[in-house]
Order: sequence, then structure tokens, then C-alpha cells
Amino acid sequence: MELWIGALNLGFLYALMAMGIYITFRIHDFADITVDGSFTSGASVAAIIIVSGGHPAIALLGAFGAGLLAGTVTALIHTKLNINSLLAGILVMTGLYSINLHIMGRSNIPLLSEVTVFTQIARFNPGLPQEIWYTLVLTGCIIIGWWLVSLFFKTDLGIAMRVTGNNSTMAGAVGQNIKYLTLLGVALANGLVALSGSLVAQYQGFADIGMGIGTVVIGLASVIIGESIIKSRSVYWRFLSVIIGSVIFRFMIAFALYIGMNPIDLKLLTAIFVLLTLIVSKMIANKPVNRESSRKILGNLRKALLNRWSAAILIIVILVAGSFLKFNPGKSPSDIKIGLVQFTDNGLLNVTRDSFLEEIHKIGYIDKKNCRIYIENAQGEIPILNTIIDKFLRDDVNLILTISTSATQAAINKVKDRPVIFATVANPFIIGAGTSDSVHIANVTGVYGGVPMDRMLEMVNRFFPDRLRIGCIWDPSQANVVFNVDNLRRELRNYEHYQFEGANAVNSSEVYQAALSLVNKNIGAFVLPPDNIIYSAFDAVVRVADSRNIPIFISDVERLEDGALLALGYDYTSSGIQAAHIVDRVLKGTSPAQIPFEKYTKLTIGVNLNVARKIGIKVPQDVLKKATMMIGDNPTNGIATKRLALFQFSDHSMMEECARGVLDELTASGILKKNNIIVERKNAQNEFTLGQSIAQDIVRRKYDYIITLSTPALQIMAQVNKQIPHVFGAVTDPYRMGVARSPAEHLPQLTGVATMQPVEEGFKVMRKLLPHAKKVGMVWNPSEACSEACTMKAREAAREYGFELVEANVTSTSEVMDALNSVLDRGVDIFFTSGDNTVLIAIESIGEVLKKHKIPYFGNTPSDIYRGGLISVGADYYNVGREVARVMEKIIAGAEPKDIPIQDCVPVQIGVNLVLAQEIGLKLPESFLKRVAVIKRS
Amino acid sequence: MIKIRNLHKKFNPGTANEVYALRGVDLDVCEGDFVTIIGTNGSGKSTLLNAVAGAFLPDEGSILIDDHEVTKKPDYKRAEYLARVFQNPFSGTASAISIAENLHIASLRGHKSYPKKGLNAARLQFYRDKVAVLEMQLEDRLNDTIGTLSGGQRQALSLLMAVINPPRVLLLDEHTAALDPKSAAQVIKLTKKFIEQGRLTTLMVTHSMQQALELGNRTIMMNKGQIIDDIGLDEKKQLTVDDLLNKFIQIRKQEQLTPELLAELKQMYA
Repeated sequence: MELWIGALNLGFLYALMAMGIYITFRIHDFADITVDGSFTSGASVAAIIIVSGGHPAIALLGAFGAGLLAGTVTALIHTKLNINSLLAGILVMTGLYSINLHIMGRSNIPLLSEVTVFTQIARFNPGLPQEIWYTLVLTGCIIIGWWLVSLFFKTDLGIAMRVTGNNSTMAGAVGQNIKYLTLLGVALANGLVALSGSLVAQYQGFADIGMGIGTVVIGLASVIIGESIIKSRSVYWRFLSVIIGSVIFRFMIAFALYIGMNPIDLKLLTAIFVLLTLIVSKMIANKPVNRESSRKILGNLRKALLNRWSAAILIIVILVAGSFLKFNPGKSPSDIKIGLVQFTDNGLLNVTRDSFLEEIHKIGYIDKKNCRIYIENAQGEIPILNTIIDKFLRDDVNLILTISTSATQAAINKVKDRPVIFATVANPFIIGAGTSDSVHIANVTGVYGGVPMDRMLEMVNRFFPDRLRIGCIWDPSQANVVFNVDNLRRELRNYEHYQFEGANAVNSSEVYQAALSLVNKNIGAFVLPPDNIIYSAFDAVVRVADSRNIPIFISDVERLEDGALLALGYDYTSSGIQAAHIVDRVLKGTSPAQIPFEKYTKLTIGVNLNVARKIGIKVPQDVLKKATMMIGDNPTNGIATKRLALFQFSDHSMMEECARGVLDELTASGILKKNNIIVERKNAQNEFTLGQSIAQDIVRRKYDYIITLSTPALQIMAQVNKQIPHVFGAVTDPYRMGVARSPAEHLPQLTGVATMQPVEEGFKVMRKLLPHAKKVGMVWNPSEACSEACTMKAREAAREYGFELVEANVTSTSEVMDALNSVLDRGVDIFFTSGDNTVLIAIESIGEVLKKHKIPYFGNTPSDIYRGGLISVGADYYNVGREVARVMEKIIAGAEPKDIPIQDCVPVQIGVNLVLAQEIGLKLPESFLKRVAVIKRS
Repeated sequence: MIKIRNLHKKFNPGTANEVYALRGVDLDVCEGDFVTIIGTNGSGKSTLLNAVAGAFLPDEGSILIDDHEVTKKPDYKRAEYLARVFQNPFSGTASAISIAENLHIASLRGHKSYPKKGLNAARLQFYRDKVAVLEMQLEDRLNDTIGTLSGGQRQALSLLMAVINPPRVLLLDEHTAALDPKSAAQVIKLTKKFIEQGRLTTLMVTHSMQQALELGNRTIMMNKGQIIDDIGLDEKKQLTVDDLLNKFIQIRKQEQLTPELLAELKQMYA
């Protein structure tokens, strides 16, 4: 129920803004974008007045005044300077962003424990539930507001304003001063918008610099929805329709959350709903209306109105009834329910959430088994935060876990009767959650911590014990970030030999400029607090820093690889873990009032030695000792750590065997230890795009050596790598790949081992075991290069050993069985498959059919005999791997790939399925069996 | 009532589109005069009316209305002295506002509008009576918006709106040109009625020679930004449409006869 009541209240509060938009857009035909700024101005002015102890009524007056002022400026720019109205609005809105920040002094002012309009209203509550009392009072206020505004537009002045917007030629002709009236209208409208903003801020418990974004869209949507529902031209009806439109808009959002829609889709839903409303209203309008007399017109108008009204009321009734009926079945009342909400999708918040979920699972709360965990994301929008919390309350959760400061702020304002646990909050005290760790709001507790700037500066000082100018970039509209930067500056007072230079960036495109400006001021190092905007544009900072060899110190350890020198920060996974334990305690009965706030404990210090080497900085020994993670070479060893990428295309046994051979040889020779080389295995899981990403990553991260296994891996790697020494293996025919023309003529950065299928050997064995056989059947896919090569060889070998080859082609696996039957129809004695992927997928089915016909099945791959093949004459990939490793060893010792010719390496390995041989009655001579390496006996 | 001295106006001076619309116009109009203004296309008749109305400011010259100097005043400041009916029926009325509200605003012409509800029941009745005079059955539809009316009805209303608060000068700018013959006739009838009733000083630009001769006590002919003929009531009574047309043809001929050509002819035939 709270969900809908909350929506209704928000609808009324925003209705004032919608009326303002109606005045500018419809009455004055003035496209006014100022509202995104004036809405926030109203909120900021009211917040400042309230926080300084002013009476809430004065706050409302002040807000209205701020809006009047903003609107006046926009109108003056338009009328006096003849600048297009749209542009004038944008200019003022942009300027207001800075002005609002100055008014508030920071990006967010909490109003939780202040005397607001709503606390005053609450005092008169005769005993009803709080939200319902608000609704009643707000209904009364909105009716008064509606009546006043409509009445105004019925006065002489109001009519004059309406005429000005509707027909400016006539307005001038009847003596109206158009410029003056437009100014009046735009000012009044923005006054209403600012008033709306001030009320919304007091309702939700805080004023925030970002709360105005998107206001003009919400207002227009409300106006459009209202106009489609009520078509009357009367001034009273028009303003009423706007109010109704605003309420319906809020209901839509509540509905979307109620049915569990992802908040991401809300904007799409808004657009669709507005479109539907317009379509339906057009359909109704097209019904023929009898125009014979004016009275009949009025009558029909009333009928049409009634239709639309009844439709709207019906929808609202269904929604409200639905909320009472509670659609969701199967919810047992004893289930524990946890509501988890994060403000945006940023990495740190996600890390907290994931580690929380993992830990809570470990503790024993299994989602959907003994509890329900609702996970929501507000996508960075504060009104959505409020609606999510309403939803949690409606779902009757046992406690709410909030991740990030904004989410926590919204929750502690709304939720008084159940626990609120917070995680990943920089400073809970500035949002009013408490005065100290143990003295705090009774139902709130959690895990917090800013970046330990004192430790950070300690680290910096170890690198730079002398004078240093530190550069810092941050987004001033994020309270968390400002808090961390303030801490940094405060700690800097202890370092008299350090200077501070700061630069702001409000979106990612400004980061590059900010970094450049700092570098031009000759900073010696960057020290960056955790900030979404900076991190999303981190590459820009790295670029700038690299060009002057300036080190970067950051607090987000995940960014270490991307070019920072040192990362020092709290481990956000521990935030989630600690929060999970608090949640457990609370659910088991401890009251949050008894649990003091916890600070993060685990500190992570990461050092990127590659960066240190690149910019020529020596990392002090004690820093290395303290580091909990390191990337890159260890300079104390004397020899740099090298990395070898062992890249295979899939899990196929052929590649696994080969890899095993490579690793065994490399380890046995001792070359890895001697040269301080670590091997990293990469697997493309048989997916081309994944393979491409891996190859690009290998090149980007500048691995020292590369070994690829299988033809696709070779191809992908050769395309992106031109420098790193590359040895390939498990490739049938490198010459067809375009990497080489002959063993000696090949691409200079690579060399390797070619393993042609031992087709000839296979036919030799065939002839030996079956001296009387005449025809050999073969099914293959001509579009597979390897398969084609094998077939060529097969034809030669067949001739040599006196066989007739019977072939059939397929293009996909589904055709294989038919092709097989056609081959069998032509009477073959032996069946042969090369390493053809298309056919091999169906190998079991082929084996079944051949077994029935008692035809020996010869294959190319050792593993075939386990899947239906009788005899396999193939290459021993383990030994191929060892050969590949031997080639790589030469390169590590100093040889260059261009000097090493491609080798052929075909260690033949024969496998036999004895069980199958018995079943089809094939006798195998002892001499043959001696040569067999792999036997299936049971 | 109206004194115009040496009025000059060039539009887009110095460009390829330059138009020298008014080339030194002098005009005296007495109180109660009903002056019709005719001329060929581009003669400057509408421009003259616009100059008096204040749609633009002249380059040179002066305009006085009822001895008030209005030359530099913008249009809305002159509205207390004059009322205008435009050629386009859609220009004179506000389509999103009701008929009553339109009339109300018109009646406020020349006064400041305050946030007080002037449109009360008494005023509404007053407007009802005024609208009944038009004989278009609009008096029952006062609360309908203007958007539902036809061009003729709107123009009639525009006329009513112009005189409802009697102006010192009434400016009519080809106000029947966009109407069908029936509506045009109706509007002309109303025009005559209102002007007689109020004894209004009127300047009416018309394209119709017939109208020019039938209406008013004075007709002015314009050509190329100047007044070339000023016909009083007695002469008007004797003229026919053909006579007027002949006058125009004469002028045309004279125009083709440039001074150079005239000198040449004189030389040839003298």
C-alpha cells in the first residue's frame, strides 16, 4: 500500500512543477529548459534556510523567490538579447548548476533531523498512518494551489498572458507588452517549479545537486498524459489535467517496480505509456460528433470526458486492488526477506554486493531456500531510490541493506521501523546516521570507511621524501569524493614540503583536460580518490601521466594494472563480508542499536613494477615488503620476470595432450626456473571471439613468449601479433594458413611444428591388416582446410597401397549419416575418417552403423577408439608438445624465430579397440599389437 | 486627428532586396474622416498603414495622432489611440481563448491589465449584447474558443473587438480581402455601421475600386511610395470605377515616359 500512497504523494508534489511547465510550454509557447536548474535551486535554497534554523515557511518563500529569479534571467536573455528561448533556458540551467553548488556549499544536504514542512504537518496528525495523513494534507494543498493558479489565469492579467502566448501579433495590437508578459509568465512558472523542488527535498529528506536532472522530461510527460485524458479548453480543466498527469506518471513508475521491472527499463516504459495514451485519445477523438447545436457539443464533450475518466479510474482501482490482493503466490510468512539496494552500477558497489552475497550464502542464508534476497539498482536516480525503498516496505522485508551513501541516506529517512544496514559508505556521520560509532540512530548500523589518506601520504612520502607538488582530480558533485579529498587536504597539513593542486571534472570528457591542466602546473605525482568519473576515463589520465613520467597513486586496487604506480585502499570485498556478518547478527536478534558502526579493516597495497620500470622510479624496499599484491617484474631478482602465454583454442584432447607435453618438457629442462619465466595458460573455449580477445590481450599486455596450439589459435594470434616470438604446434598445415610458403620462408616472428596427419601410415596399416580389402569409404567436409589436405593425401596413399577410394561430401553434421549410407551402398570394406570436425561430431553414430555392418573403422585421432573407432593411426600430440617446447627453448636461449625453419613432426601413434575388434571378428596379429600404444580392452 | 509629415522608409537598405517603400508621404486626416486608400501593388499603401500602426519605425518623418507624437513609440504603446483589423482573420483573434475573453482583452486596449477578475457576469452580459449586433448567432457561444469559428465570423469579431473600446483612429488593412463575397459583404455592412455609429476616424486600405468609391468621404491614390491623388467627397460621387482605372493607366504611361525619353521625343517631333 505504501508504494501507491508514496506515488500519489510524489505525484502531488511534482504537480506544481508540471503546472509550471504547462505555463511556459503551453500558455507562453516558450520552450523553457531552465526548470532542470530551478527545481534544484528551490531545493537548495530551502535546504540552506532550514539547516540554518529558519522556519520552513520562509524556506518555501525563499525557494519560490529563487525560481522567480531564475525565470527572470532566462526571460531577459530571450527578450532583451533576442536569444532563442531554448538556448536561453539551457544557458541559465547550466549556470545554475554551479550556483546551486555554491548555495549548498556541497553536493548534498541532509534534512533528516531538521524541522521541515513535513515535520510541521506531522505535528497535527490526529492519529492516522503518517503517509496517509500527508496524502490528505497534500490533497488539500494541491486543490488550493490549483484553484489559485487557475483563478489567476482567469483575471485580466492572466488572460493577457494567455493571449500573448497564443497570438503575439494580436497581443501587440491590443496594447499588451509582450516582453513584459512573457517575463512574468516564465518567472512565475519557474517559481512554481522551485517551490515543487523545495517540497520534494523536504519530503525525501535531503537536497542533492542531481535531483533536478530530467525535470523537464517528467513535466512534459505529465502535461502530455494530462492533455490526452482531458480535452477541455477551460483553464480549470487544463490545470487539473496536468495534476492528474503528474500523478499517473508516478503511478506508472510504481507499477513498473511493483511488477518487478528492472529500473533500467523505466524510461522505455514511460515512452511507451505516453505513446499509448496519445493513440487512445486520438481514437476517441475520431468518433463523429454531432455539431448541430452548441448544447449538443457540450453534451458529447461531457460524454467523451466521462469515458476517459472512467477508464482512468478503472485502471487506478485495479492497481490499488491488486496491491491489496498481493499477486505473488507461494510466499510463506516466516521467510526471511532481505532488501538490497545500490545506487549505481559502479565497480566498487558491485564488488561489495557480490562479496556480500557470497558471504551471506556461506553463513547459511540461501536465496530462495530459506530466505529471499531482493536486489535492486537505482541506476543513479534518486526518485527511483525512494520508490525502491517503498517497494521493499511493501514487500515487508526484515531488513534493508544499502550500498553507497545516497542509498543509505534515502533509507534512513524513510525506514524507521526495521533495520537498515549500510556498506561502502565513506562517512555515515555527514548524512546524519549518528554522531559517533556507538552513538547512532537505533535501527541503523553498518560498515564504512573513507580512503585512509594518512596511509596514502605515508606511501607517497616514501617515494618522495623531498618537496612534491601533488595533483588531484575529482567530481565535486559526489559527496563521498569530496569527503575523501577534504581528508587528503587535511592530512597534507602534516606534510609541509608538499603542495596541493586540484582540478575538477563533472563528466568523463573533462578528465583529460583536468589532467593536462595539472601537468602544466608541474605536478610531481597524481593522487586520486575513488571517483566513478575519473575511473571511467582513467586511460586519459594515464596517457597524460605517461607523457611526462608522472606516477599515479590511486585507491582502487582494480585499477593497478591500467597504469597506476601504487594503489592503496580498503578492500571492498571485506566491506561486503563484514556487512554480511552484521546482517546475520541482526537477523538472529541483536538490535542494531547495540552494534556500533564498523570500519573496514583490510587494507590492500598494490604496486605495479612495470610502471615503476617504465617511468624510471625505484620502489623502496619497505614498500615492497608491505605490498599485498604486485604486478610485473621483481627488480630485486636481477633478472626480470618473464611471461609465456600458452594459448589453446579448445579443450579437445588433442590440445590437452599437446599442452601436457609442452609443460612437461619446459619444466624438465629447467629453463623456466633459470630464466624466471611464468607460464600462463589461456583457453578460447572453442569460441572465435573469445580467442580474438585473448590474442589482443596478450599483445596489449606485452607477454614475452607465445605458444599456440591448434590451427585457429595460430591464425588468430598471427593476425594481431607481429613482434612477440611465437611458436605454434598442433597445426596440420601451416602453409595453407598463409603464415609460411616453405619451411624456411615464413613470417619472421613465428615458427613451429607442423603435424600432418599420418594418412599414409594409416593406409599402410590398413593394407597390412586387411590384405584382401579393395574399397575404402570416406566422408568429409570440403570447406575444412585440414580435411581437404588429408583427403589429398588419402587419394595418393590409396593409390600407392592399391585401394579404391569412395568419397562422399557433406557440408554439415546433419548430412553425415546419409552420406555414410550412400558410401556403404557402394560396397566398401573399410571406412576412414581424417580429422574432420564436421564428421567427428557424429563419430559415435558412425561407429554404431559400421559395427552392425562389421566394417573396420579407421581414424586419425587417438581418442577415436574410445568413441566408436576401431583402429586409430594418428599423431602422438604429447610428443608434438614436447617438440614445440624444444623449439621454444631455443628461442629463450637467444635464437630468433626467423632463423628457425618450420619442422615436420609426426610421431605416429597407433590405437586399437580390442573389444570392438572381437565383436566384428577381426583378428589382429601379435606383431602388430606390439606396436600399438593405446589399447581399449574392456 | 492624424498628421503625417515627410515619411520615408527603406526596407533592407543597402542589400539586393532593398525596397524604398515610402518616399516622403505627407497626409492630414481630420477627425471623423473616413479615408479609403488605393494603389497598385507595391505602392506603399499597406506600408503606410503599418507605419501609422507602429509595426516598424520610419527612417525619417513624423506621425502625430490626436496631437500626440507617436513616431518613436512601439505598437503596443500606440494601442491606446488606435485599433487595427488585419487582413488575415487569424491574426486578429486568439484561437485558444474564448470569444468572451477575446472581447474582454480587446476592451482593455489602452489600459493596464491587473490580476483582478474583470470578466464578471455583468461584463459578460455587456458582451452578449454587443455580439448580438453582428447577427451571427454567436451570442450563445461566448464561452467557446475562437478556434471553432469560420473566417468570416472571426473577421466580424475582429471588427467588433476593434471598436468595442472606441479608438481615436481605426485602421482597416484590406480586411475583407481574404473572405468569400457573402462574408465580405456582411463585414463591409458592419464596418459602415460601426464607423457611423462611433463617428470613427478611419483609414481603410482596399484593393477594391468599388469599395473605395462607395465608402468614406475621401479616397487617396498611392503609387511608388507617394500619394499622387487625393479625391474629396464631391469628386468621388461623380467618379466611376472606369474613371479610376483610367487614372491608373495614365500614370503607368507617364512612368514609361522617362525624362530622357521625353527629351528625345521632343527633339524628334518638335
